[in-house]
Formats: sequence, structure tokens, C-alpha cells
Amino acid sequence: MQQKLKKNYKKLKFRWEYFLVLLLIVEVVIFGTLNPRFLKPQVLFGSVNDFISICIIATFMCFVFITGGIDLQAGSIVGLTSIIIGVMWKYVGVNIYLACLIAIIIGCLCGALSGFFIGFTGVQPMVVTLGGSFLYSGLAIAVSNISKTAAYLGISGFPEHFTAFTKKRFFGVVPAQFLIFLALVVIAYIILHRTKYGRKVFLCGINQNAAGFTGINTKLIIMSTYIFSGMAASITGIIMTSYLGSSKSDFGGDLTMPIITAVVLGGTSTLGGKGGVVGSALAAIVIGIMRFGLSMNGMPNQYLDIPVGIMLVIVVAGSCISKNQKISALLHHYINIKN
Amino acid sequence: MDFMKKMTKRREFSSIIFLFALYAIVGIVNPAFLKLDNIMLCLNGATVYTICAIGMALVIFTGEIDASIGATLGLSAAVAASMIRDGSSSILALLIAICIGLVIGSINGFGVAVLKIPSIIMTIGVNGIVRGISYVYTGGAWVENVPRHFKEVSQMGMFGLSWFYIGTIVIMILIHFYVTKKRHGRYFQAVGDNEDGAIHIGIPVTATKMISFILCAVCASVASVIFVSRIGFVTPTSGNGYEMKAIAACVIGGISLSGGIGNMIGATFGALIMASISRILVFLGLSSNYDNTITGILLITIVVIDAVIQKCNIEKARRERLAAKTAAVVECELEGGNKTCNRN
Repeated sequence: MQQKLKKNYKKLKFRWEYFLVLLLIVEVVIFGTLNPRFLKPQVLFGSVNDFISICIIATFMCFVFITGGIDLQAGSIVGLTSIIIGVMWKYVGVNIYLACLIAIIIGCLCGALSGFFIGFTGVQPMVVTLGGSFLYSGLAIAVSNISKTAAYLGISGFPEHFTAFTKKRFFGVVPAQFLIFLALVVIAYIILHRTKYGRKVFLCGINQNAAGFTGINTKLIIMSTYIFSGMAASITGIIMTSYLGSSKSDFGGDLTMPIITAVVLGGTSTLGGKGGVVGSALAAIVIGIMRFGLSMNGMPNQYLDIPVGIMLVIVVAGSCISKNQKISALLHHYINIKN
Repeated sequence: MDFMKKMTKRREFSSIIFLFALYAIVGIVNPAFLKLDNIMLCLNGATVYTICAIGMALVIFTGEIDASIGATLGLSAAVAASMIRDGSSSILALLIAICIGLVIGSINGFGVAVLKIPSIIMTIGVNGIVRGISYVYTGGAWVENVPRHFKEVSQMGMFGLSWFYIGTIVIMILIHFYVTKKRHGRYFQAVGDNEDGAIHIGIPVTATKMISFILCAVCASVASVIFVSRIGFVTPTSGNGYEMKAIAACVIGGISLSGGIGNMIGATFGALIMASISRILVFLGLSSNYDNTITGILLITIVVIDAVIQKCNIEKARRERLAAKTAAVVECELEGGNKTCNRN
């Protein structure tokens, strides 16, 4: 019985990621027929620049979801790291790449601070990361006040070699940040699905007490997942700064909802213990392509939350209904009658 | 002394102490802050937050969360403001706003209670949808030119307090007694405290959750009309972030996000703290840009201190139990010698 269940589960999991690929293909076909310009490789790959931040953060955010947590602060860490790069480079006078390194370290520290409170004091992750999102976005504004430039202008004038990197296109079409994203997905996949550490993350999400009794340092594992998500946010901050050529404190402020949508759409359970890197990455691309395709077909940017929200609700409702035994029994009953 | 002990054990105690300490410190730095007029302005300014926090508290009592009230507030504010601007009566506008709240709350409640979707995801999705709808409704434009007579309603009041704030406090006290003293009101916390237990003793869990979501959205809609009256215009981003501020107000007021713990009075004080921060910053001579920083630090500090104190209390209780047990055993051995004795 159990083996049968396991087999079914494996099948379902595979099916889910296949389903996402199918969704992606359907999207490309629909938008391609509506607007043939969409299918040009230049345009299609160029659109990645618009949603690369969602992809990168969602890939690492699924770690947090798998331990049963939630992270609302990634968006504000993006802004904080971006402004730190600008201030470090322009007003402190460090090398731009050193500034990037400092930004990554600060992103990790931000994640570690929240992770510490969540892991070691047992406060609900939602509250701490909510506080963290206020704190880090406030800090970003404070840092930008140091720079003595108006917050809405941002700091610009970065050296050519720093901004050129993200505008480079390999083989003429594939932007550099897409390759960075692929590399990060591979790294995240290996960490989560091919190492001992990854198994520990899963066990922490399934049953934290049991994980503790088997000798796993659950507090440290939980804290580490938030460090990963903070790191991903800071990498996003660097890429955004480089691509847009300016550093601002309010980058990433509206990323929270798309990121959570991507992780959940990727098949990761919010209750923990289930999910995967590939699903999150694919789902992020699905959402990004949908937003891009709709706006290319003349939908105003502000309306884009409607289809994304509807998709999120329908997908989650579908998966919850399929889990609900009463409803699935009813469905089986009706199908049997029809047959 | 007994009274004091009882008070310190209450959940909202720390937030009340914190509020007074905050006001006292700011008063020492800048005595103008403690003038009666200014305190009344602080209270009036907290009206919208307080109503949102009351609604949010009902949802959090049942162990769920509602991240969609910001968009609900924005949409009903836009609709109400444009209706009042076009000459309909304010009562009708209020009713329409409440209807919007009813619909959104029912959708949330249906998804969470009936379909069993995790509430944070359901409400984040609904938040996006409703936000988009309000863009469609307003066309991205501001709703301005709300008639003067409607704006003046928020200026009227007694002893410097507006009628809105007095009304809010009265309703808050009524809801507080309903939730703590009445049979049906106690369902909310019973569901959040132990859902399976509530099912077993026959509490209608699904209906209770549904009602809590509907009430929360209706609270946001009522708040939106007061928002229009106070501010006088509605932008497409009005209400953004109110959901997070309301959650923060509840948490600062001692309401536990795991459900079942806390009360309305705490939520009211939490909302007052949240609303006072930006005014306090001005009186301290700082830019109100630091609003978010202070809010974040406050939220994390209060919650972490609370968690640590609770952990210490649990540990202390465990130690006491252990000490009592060993004492009993020792006594038993002294008395009984070879006799078997009950170690419990």
C-alpha cells in the first residue's frame, strides 16, 4: 500500500513539473500567435531581464518554504543591497566588485538576523520577516540619506565594465543574467536534492521535533535557509543595479507577492516538507512570461496583478481540493456513475 | 498588589507600558508633544489603523491571517470617494463600501474555510486581484474633489476627539465584550486555540472562520470611508501596506499569530503605537523616512522579548514541577522507609 502511494506521489511530482513546462509552452504559443514579434529569440530572451529577480529569489526561497517558514523580507533586502553598492562605491570609494561582495555579506547577515530569531527563539517566521521587511527597507532609506542625493534619483554613473556585464548577450541572444540564473538553479538543486544538508532541510519541515531527536541541529538549519534567501536577494540587488545602471533604495519593493506565487505555483507546500528547486524556477519563469506577454499585448502594467492573483488562487484551490478526501471521493463517485 | 499582578499577566500590559514609556520619553525630549491637542491628534490619526486592527484581530484569533485588507480598503475607498464626489449620499456610499467588503470577505472565507487553502496564500492572491480591479475602476487616476461637507465630518467631535474615534472605541469595547463574554463570541478564540477540539465539542469551525474573514473585510471597508473623510482624496496606491501595518499592530498588542491568545484592547493600543510613530519622529526632529525602521525594530523587539519571556516561564514552571516532585519523593522515602510509596 505504502509503496503504491509512494509511486503515485513520485508520479504526481513529476507530473507537476511537466505540467509547468506544458503551461510554459502553451503560454509561448498563445502569445506568439497573438503577437508574432514575441517569438523572436531577441525579445523572448530579453524579457528574462524583466523578471530575473523573481526567478533568482524564488529558487532559494523554496528552501525557507520547505522548512515550513515564509520570508516576506527578500524584497526589501534587494533595495538595501542595491543602495549599499552605490554608497560604498561613490562615497566610501571602494572598488565596485568589493562593494558587491560587501553587499552579498550584508544580505547574508540580514537573512541571518531574522533566521536567528526564528530558529533560536521560536517566534513565528511571518512576524519576524514582516518586521525585517520594515527594518531593512527603512535602513535602505537611512543609507540613501547618507548619500545626500534625492532618494528618487538614485546613484548612477557606475563604471562601464560593471554595467556592461549584464547587458552582454552570449550567442547574440542569451543574456548573461540568464546564465547566472541557470548556474544558481544548478547550485541550489545540488544543495537541496543531492546533499545531506538538503535532506536535513526536508526533515526539519516534515517534523522539527523528530529532526531534533535524530541529532540534527534544527535551529541552525532553519537559520541557514534564511541566509540563503538573503543571499539570493542580494545577488538580485547586484544584478538590478548593474542592469539599470543606478542604485535605489526602493528596488524590489513589489516583489513579495510574485515570489510567493512562484514558490507556491512550483509545487512547494507552505506547510513544509515538500517542494523542489526546479519547480520554483519553472514557475517563476511561467509567471514572468505571462506578465511579459500580457503587457506586450497591450495590458497596462498595473492590471498584471489580476491574472497572477487568479492563477495563484486557482492553482492552490485545485491542489487543496485534490487533497480533500470528501471532494475527491465525490468526484470518483460521479465519474463512476457516468462510466 | 493582587491587582497589579493580575494586570502584569495580561497580554496587552507590555504594549500599554510601552506606549506610556514612549510618550514619556518623547515628552521629555520635546514637551510640546504632551500637549492635550497633540495627543488628541495622535488618537484621531489612529482611527483607520484601529478599525483595521480590530478586524484583523478577529481573523488572527481563529489562527488565520488576512493579507488582503489593504486592497479592500483601497477599492472601497475609491468607490466610496467617487460616489460621494458625484453627489450620492454618504450613507449609500458607506453601504456600497460595506457590500464590497462583504463580497471580498466571503471569497476569502470560502477559500480558506471551505476549500482549506492556506490563508496567507489565498489572501495574497486576492490582494493582487482586488488591487488590479481598483486600478481598472479608477483608470489609474486619483479620486479628488470630495465635497467639503463630507470632509468636515471627520473634524467634528467632542473634547478634540473626533466622533469617528469615539465611535471606534465604543464599537471596540462592544466587540471586546462579545468576544470575551458571549458564547458565540468565544467561538473565535476557541477555534484558534484548538481547531480539532473545537470540532469535537460541536463548534461550527467553518462558519466561524468565514464570519471572521467577512467581518475583517467589512472593517476594512468601514475604515475606507473614514479614510476618505480624513484624507479627502484616494490614489491608486491608497491602502497599500495597511495589511502589514494592521498585522504589526495586532502583534505589538500581544495577539499571538498562532491563534487564540490576545484581545481587542491590545490591538487598539498596538494600532495607536503604530499610528503615533511617524508623529513622534517629527517631534524628535527626525525625518519621517525612519518610520519603517522604527516599526521594524519595534515589531521584532517586542515579539522576541515576548517569546523569550514565555520560554523562561515555561522553563520555570517545569523546574517548579520537578522540584515539587523530588521533594515529594524525598519526603516519602524519609517517612516510609521500606514501604512502597506513590511517587506522584
